[in-house]
Amino acid sequence: MGKKVLNVEDDADIRTFVSTIVEETGHIPILAKDGEEGMQKVRGERPDLIILDILMPKESGIKMYHELKSDPSLKNIPVVMLSGVSKRTFLRSQVALTEFGDETVPEPEAYLEKPVEPEDLSEILNKILS
Amino acid sequence: MKITTMLFVSEFEELWFDALQSLLGLRKAGLNHVVFLHVIQREKVAMRRGTGYLKQEERKLREIADIRFIDWAETLFEEGMEVGAHIAIGNVVPKILSVTEIERVDLIVTARLKKGKLGELFAGSETSDLLRRAVKPVLIYNYASVSGKVGEDPFERLLLAIDWSVSSEKVLDFVLALKGSVKRVEIIHVLSEKEIGKLSKMEAHKVERENKKRLDEVCDVFAKERFDARPHLYIGNTEEQIVRGAAEHRATMIVVGTKKSSVWKEKWSGSVSHALADRSELPLLVIPADA
Repeated sequence: MGKKVLNVEDDADIRTFVSTIVEETGHIPILAKDGEEGMQKVRGERPDLIILDILMPKESGIKMYHELKSDPSLKNIPVVMLSGVSKRTFLRSQVALTEFGDETVPEPEAYLEKPVEPEDLSEILNKILS
Repeated sequence: MKITTMLFVSEFEELWFDALQSLLGLRKAGLNHVVFLHVIQREKVAMRRGTGYLKQEERKLREIADIRFIDWAETLFEEGMEVGAHIAIGNVVPKILSVTEIERVDLIVTARLKKGKLGELFAGSETSDLLRRAVKPVLIYNYASVSGKVGEDPFERLLLAIDWSVSSEKVLDFVLALKGSVKRVEIIHVLSEKEIGKLSKMEAHKVERENKKRLDEVCDVFAKERFDARPHLYIGNTEEQIVRGAAEHRATMIVVGTKKSSVWKEKWSGSVSHALADRSELPLLVIPADA
């Protein structure tokens, strides 16, 4: 049976692209347009994997990732970052947030910089969800 | 009235990242979230005979904005700030107002907004439209030098123009909340030359003395909060004297309040804040009375 994959992404074209690949790999896509809606879907749907963009309205992927990994009930959900923001910046931003008093945040399961090839995304989905 | 979320509206041609960086001193006053907004003008992608809606052009313009925002956001993310972005198509003022509400913005930063000549004749500039409709403070960022370089923090030396109205009280409250981000405050009140001219010498002196006293009292409030505040009483045309005062005291920004009035009333009776927004060479911060 397919697993639930939440895609948090503000670009409608990329949401369609990711949904297609999720379905093609036999899983169920769930969509959110920003980090705020993403967190609501995480709590309501309990996805098996999250594919997360960074620069979005309302709440960024950086804040959402930090929230996920700081919540004991959500921190084990694997996250694949899919963004135009570089991995270096992502890691530095998490360190900057950590410096503000929180615990160290672990790295995501995978980090894909846009644009991503469909094969690369399916391979990562299969690897994490198998 | 704290500033935690700032909306930075950029057309890219008129407001650049250096302007944003010059405002990061506001972090001392609580700023921790920057939201970018780029509005693609509808006429750039609108339906045309023979070609239809320019979808490809829209994609290209969105991509350009996205790449620019990612570059700007990376710097801010690395400093531990929260960043968001909106890229929209349509009219700039309604989009600014809608994003302000969605993102619960405390301060709107924009360059002077332009409108076609015909539109300005009948409806005033986009900037005036924004000032009329915004319920949050608006910073009209003007590059003070011809080279376009921004050398200093606009919040460093403020010129506060006050007229003892409710909107002036809002201005004072707003600036008091910026403790830590502001180095010096020049507080100016302009007496009307026309009104003073109608009074006898004795009456004129009395009016001057009363206003000076009130200015001193305001400075005392700022001094208690550890601001370096100085009073200034000018006489003449309000808009001209504010600009002169800003130049004489080397202010980095002018701060004024604004009242709600209709387009036509404003057009024919004039509004100091709107006139300054269209003409001031310095950045101008306008605080609405209902902020």
